[in-house]
Amino acid sequence: MSAFPPGTAAAEGLASCHTCAKLSPSSLHHCPLCGSALHVRMTDSLQKTIALVITAVILYIPANVLPIMTTTQLGTPEDSTIIGGVVLLIHHGSFPIAAVIFIASVLVPTGKLIAICWLCLSVSRRQNTSFEQRTKLYRATEFVGKWSMTDVFVVAILVALIQMGGLLNITAGPAAIAFGGVVIVTMLAAHSFDPRLIWDQVETTND
Amino acid sequence: MDELVQNLRIACHECDLLVTIQTLDAGATASCPQCGHTLAKNTPDGLNKALAFSLAAAISLVFSNLFPFLSLQASGLEQVMTLPQSAYELYLDGYWTIALLVMGPIMGIPALMLATLAAIVIPLMRSQPAEWLIPAARFLFFLNPWSMVEVFVIGVLVSLVKIGAMATVILGISFWAYIAFAICFIAALTNVDQTLLWRRIEALQT
Repeated sequence: MSAFPPGTAAAEGLASCHTCAKLSPSSLHHCPLCGSALHVRMTDSLQKTIALVITAVILYIPANVLPIMTTTQLGTPEDSTIIGGVVLLIHHGSFPIAAVIFIASVLVPTGKLIAICWLCLSVSRRQNTSFEQRTKLYRATEFVGKWSMTDVFVVAILVALIQMGGLLNITAGPAAIAFGGVVIVTMLAAHSFDPRLIWDQVETTND
Repeated sequence: MDELVQNLRIACHECDLLVTIQTLDAGATASCPQCGHTLAKNTPDGLNKALAFSLAAAISLVFSNLFPFLSLQASGLEQVMTLPQSAYELYLDGYWTIALLVMGPIMGIPALMLATLAAIVIPLMRSQPAEWLIPAARFLFFLNPWSMVEVFVIGVLVSLVKIGAMATVILGISFWAYIAFAICFIAALTNVDQTLLWRRIEALQT
């Protein structure tokens, strides 16, 4: 029944602790060294990942529709969204910074969500090709996650620095909360995906 | 060190392949033969370097909170901002969630990690068992994905360019202190290998 590829810890009845990497018999519930919960594979990895992806997609809507910050210049407030900020930077001619914000706030979160969905889909369809490419994609989604926080940090600095009373004032907007939520939830989604599920299909090619 | 890695049998975290690392010389890295994931990295003198860099990082972090971070000059007005203020202003505006989301990953979590790292490395260097070693190491690797020191540095650089169009920005002492902190913090952590640190703890505690 339990068809794990030969040569893996799971096939030998061993579970590797996710925290301290100690190998233990998979019948144990907790790692004998560090006490972390022990699983052959993360429990309900795909369900958890998909649930978090859906949460992130829902949060991504207010993050883009609502203003991320409000600039009040001489008493006139002006809201700006994430995309609006990028467009403004392009108008000002600062293309490299526009690119940084666009990559960190738009490309990375959406690309990451698509990548995680595709990984989950490929695992649930028992795809038995391109193991290495999919592992690389997984590594990329894990690595890139926190860089999306750039825009939230930029807002925090601008809000703190630009407090010049009636002349020029910047306040944060509700989209900053939603966007921070998107970043955290997508990071959790990447963490809850178990890349070993990709390699569990290796055996079927040997049959 | 060498006896730690003698015939170390572990499973790759990314593809679950069983691998036996026979020896791992100083400076060498063991990678999974199937998926290429780094299994263990033996940094020469890793514990010493980790402790030295975390001390330097802790001092720089304290300095980065004491002095002006950035200041702004526009139309004869001058505005000085300190690092804790970046969260405090958000809190005053009612956005305490964003204040936490900023201060946690850029300061709170890294500070906790530095303290935890020192609490692990010092007993290991003295080969002195301590009851907190295992919970401390679990805590360190639990926090690790949530520190965003390097992301904040990029965030600061982006804001400099954004503000630069409107006013003159002056970089304060704390700005340079934070850059030093970021470099030392990352250097401290790259000298710690999760697999080998746990093998040291295992050898000491059992």
